[in-house]
Amino acid sequence: MKISGKIRVAVAIVSLIYILIPLLVTIPASFTSASYPSFPPHGFSLQWYVKLLERPEFVEAFWNSAKFAFLTAFFSVLLGTLGALAIAKYDIPGKSYLVSLLTAPLTVPQLVLGVALLIYFTPMLLAGTPTGFLIAHIIICVPYVIRFVLTGLSGFDYTLERAAAILGASPVTVFWRVTLPLIRPAILSGALFSFLTSFDNVTVSLFMVSSDMRTLPLEIFSNMQDAYSPIVASVSSVVILISVVLILILEKIHGVGRLLGSTH
Amino acid sequence: MEPVRHDDRQEIASLRLQPAVLGKRRNWKKHLAAVLLLLPLLLFIIGFFVVPMLYILYLSFIDTERLSGTNAVYSIDNYVRFFTDSYYLHSLWLTIKVSLYTVIVSLLLGYPVALTMAKCSPRVRGLLTLLVASPLLISIVVRNFGWYLLLLPNGTVNQLLTGLGITESPLKLLFSEAGVVIGLSNAYMPFMILSIATSLYNIDPSLEKAAAILGASPFRSFLSITLPLSLPGIVSGMVLVFSMSMSAYVTPALMGGANVPMLPVVAYDQIIHLLRWTYGSAVSYVLLGITLAIVTIFTRMMERGRYREVFR
Repeated sequence: MKISGKIRVAVAIVSLIYILIPLLVTIPASFTSASYPSFPPHGFSLQWYVKLLERPEFVEAFWNSAKFAFLTAFFSVLLGTLGALAIAKYDIPGKSYLVSLLTAPLTVPQLVLGVALLIYFTPMLLAGTPTGFLIAHIIICVPYVIRFVLTGLSGFDYTLERAAAILGASPVTVFWRVTLPLIRPAILSGALFSFLTSFDNVTVSLFMVSSDMRTLPLEIFSNMQDAYSPIVASVSSVVILISVVLILILEKIHGVGRLLGSTH
Repeated sequence: MEPVRHDDRQEIASLRLQPAVLGKRRNWKKHLAAVLLLLPLLLFIIGFFVVPMLYILYLSFIDTERLSGTNAVYSIDNYVRFFTDSYYLHSLWLTIKVSLYTVIVSLLLGYPVALTMAKCSPRVRGLLTLLVASPLLISIVVRNFGWYLLLLPNGTVNQLLTGLGITESPLKLLFSEAGVVIGLSNAYMPFMILSIATSLYNIDPSLEKAAAILGASPFRSFLSITLPLSLPGIVSGMVLVFSMSMSAYVTPALMGGANVPMLPVVAYDQIIHLLRWTYGSAVSYVLLGITLAIVTIFTRMMERGRYREVFR
């Protein structure tokens, strides 16, 4: 390897460390025995995980996040998959404009989306309600599902559906036995991706929550602004762990790089 | 009823011969299926995205400070106020400056990673892609917290810097522009890398071989082959990172705080704390419009440059 190649690899390693370091320091910092978070940590203790479980607001925020993320994934996949099937299968006039319209929420900054939805929801009495929160999260996630399923359908062989129909299968049977199994990876990726996106969202959620309805990233956000305690390190570590497990499943199904590459 | 013209009759006759027309009656069923599948999604996007976006555009033209009774006054005063107030202009300039720094850092640090991904074996490439892309799926708040630990006045970076004698007193990294640039470039560099890597994968490897055979040094062949051919990836990466940095809220709020009032933070305060909805709507559209304008101008300029470079 030439010197220039060595420099390139060295810079690449530094960059990779740069990308990963905020995650790599958080987990050790959560095991500190001191009363302030630091890296490297002082001593070793599990006290901040015990304290985390004793704080009802974190536990409740966790379940809120999980619940909303699950519902967001469910509805995003339902709406997005059906829409993408229609777009891929039928001759719809102005198809490319339609896809642009349906995926437009991705191109608008989340802050602007949050402003728009808060102002729009307030007279409708949806601001600060679970329904409003859910709608906002589905708006963010459904364009991704549309893209994943459209990509999954791009090489789809429609003769398989026709063959099943000719052999006497009803449209519903064709869907469940032929179409669905073939696009299952795209749907699963869409669901997992939506779950993670919703679970981690802060910007839009900030506009959508009320004081009695918090999510985990928002709880971390306000704790970082107000207090500076190692409990933030332990709750962050829990979030990292959950995300990493889901990312590894996503990688097995579809490939994280391919997924994120195809979204932009 | 109009008499059927000859050519129409011919057309009907020819259609009758085609077996496809036998399924004509099924056609409306097909249309119905397409409409039924698409309608919920379409109504959802129009009802909860298009309409709210248009609604705040409409609101941004209402001047609440000149509101007389219940009669709304329509004017461009909100926009005029933004562009004549030094506080908002400073905030806009700060947003553009920080976003530009973020783009530069992401490009300089990201390009070598993309190049390494393009040159290594498929197995290593898969692993690198996973390492680069997965942080994007982990909450930005969590990633910012990691930087908190590193950048605090008595944090890891400052301890290293003073310990090694590089600086005498701790640097102000957190709650400064530097902190926001670090946080933003850390968050969005993966998009830069993936974008450049994609364009590098598409370069024909025989081009570099040809350059080497013709006596070009690796550096020369990088400058005249790899770099120009990866320009589309660089441009789209820069555009992506720039527009995302311009509209980021969480990182400026946490890593910059009140010291770095970037436009999204200002807009958030207007809406949530001051409840100035019409002005906040205008600020949101200024953010959107300026980002789009800069991205469009930049893309045009780079494209012109790219063609000059490639066809020289």
